[in-house]
Amino acid sequence: MLSGFNYAAPRTRGELLDLLAAEGQGAKLLAGGTDLLVNMRSGAVKPRLVIDVKRVEGFSGIEWSAKDGLVMKASTTINDLLRDREVRERFPLLAACAHDLASYQVRNRATVVGNVVNASPCSDMAPALLCLGARARISSKTGTREVPFKEFFTGVKRTVLKADELLELIIVPAEEGGARGSYRKLKRINGHDLGIVGVAMMKKGGLMRIAVSSAAPTPVLVDGLNETSTPEAAVAAVRKAISPISDLRCSKEYREHMVEVFVRRLLEELK
Amino acid sequence: MITVNVTVNGKKYKRDVEPSKTLLRFLREDLGLTGTKEGCGAGECGACTVFMDGHTVNSCMVLAAELEGRSVETIEGEAKEGVLSDIQAAFDRHHAIQCGYCSAGMVLSVRELLKRNPKPSVEQIKEGIEGNFCRCTGYQQIIEAVLDVSGQEGSKGELHYV
Ligand SMILES: Cc1cc2nc3c(=O)[nH]c(=O)nc-3n(C[C@H](O)[C@H](O)[C@H](O)COP(=O)(O)OP(=O)(O)OC[C@H]3O[C@@H](n4cnc5c(N)ncnc54)[C@H](O)[C@@H]3O)c2cc1C
Ligand code: FES
Ligand code: FES
Repeated sequence: MLSGFNYAAPRTRGELLDLLAAEGQGAKLLAGGTDLLVNMRSGAVKPRLVIDVKRVEGFSGIEWSAKDGLVMKASTTINDLLRDREVRERFPLLAACAHDLASYQVRNRATVVGNVVNASPCSDMAPALLCLGARARISSKTGTREVPFKEFFTGVKRTVLKADELLELIIVPAEEGGARGSYRKLKRINGHDLGIVGVAMMKKGGLMRIAVSSAAPTPVLVDGLNETSTPEAAVAAVRKAISPISDLRCSKEYREHMVEVFVRRLLEELK
Repeated sequence: MITVNVTVNGKKYKRDVEPSKTLLRFLREDLGLTGTKEGCGAGECGACTVFMDGHTVNSCMVLAAELEGRSVETIEGEAKEGVLSDIQAAFDRHHAIQCGYCSAGMVLSVRELLKRNPKPSVEQIKEGIEGNFCRCTGYQQIIEAVLDVSGQEGSKGELHYV
């Protein structure tokens, strides 16, 4: 059962950043709540104040422009992405990863921002954002900075964000529009389930990028490959980048094996 | 306490809620709408599925404090004047209900699915209800009911019986 916290729903960005600055460690931002409320219910997280981001003006929707690229806001849900025509047409890899995340009604609430801030090794959005060279725009009362996602994750459930910082926007560069891509996720069942391993692949203008979830403390990007890389070279580069563990759901060896299988299948699919 | 104005099944309510109260508990305990069930309380099972502003959500993972100005629909709004809705009637015809614990959430997920896809294939139906666990009827009868209510009883061949 949940207990013992206050709730605030600021209407402006300024009010929200003031609250975050004043409360620091004691505050938690609430987007879709599909990670936060579960963690609060289990007692793993005990904020004094829950600050809802969803009422802040300008924090919802998705914008696309040839100049700024694709911009996702703090309240943009996974299903907002999937319902967006620009995303489906220009960023098939984003759509593929989004489609594999949780169940339909969870996707109605779960946000892209919440997914990366939660920073689970098995995040399904991280592989797409890594492959697409996306950046996080991070704001606090004292200023704004941008961090590329390949520097965003620092460990299991850890990111570069500080307690008074808001992940305000996720920006996918316009030049990545039109990139071909696909995602393979191994689950225990066909229905919704957290990934045992996930592999995303993107190809664009001779370049090839691969990102892997659930095979290291953070989602991992493998850069520096190109469309003519052999399957053996691709597999070797991915193997070098990952460091899977054995856990409840499967062994380290099985993860290594399935990552390789998925890399090969994706190479076939995106030939 | 936080004061919220919320519309539930077309009726307006003004209520004070504790910040820690979930939408699920608000519906069941404050409004007495016990049709919505709690299974896992953590987003896994879908027993608590309701509509919020036109889309399904897991009410166990929504705070009642978030409800200001929102509109919620629950299973109690499904039958009109004592007459089962088309989806409920199809569930009834196909024995898609055994203990009924999953049914409230299942029916609403089917309503959401049919809104965006009036003639879903068997695969699309499975995906539409993947967030709703049924632990006793099994899914075959539920899928048959959805095929029936979407005018596709002939598509049953896509179902594999074991
Ligand atoms: C049943 C179930 C199945 C799931 N399946 C999957 C799955 O298959 N794949 C997957 O990747 N995930 C899965 N998840 C996890 C979860 O749904 C996602 O991680 C989701 O995208 C989190 O987004 P949210 O909006 O709900 O975040 P919230 O729970 O609202 O927030 C998550 C964290 O981010 C912080 N936060 C939120 N917004 C901001 C912001 N703007 N700036 C800084 N910090 C912020 C919060 O304080 C919290 O710590 C599942 C969860 C459930 C309950
Ligand atoms: S009770 Fe909400 S999903 Fe199980
Ligand atoms: S009818 Fe019993 S759980 Fe579905």
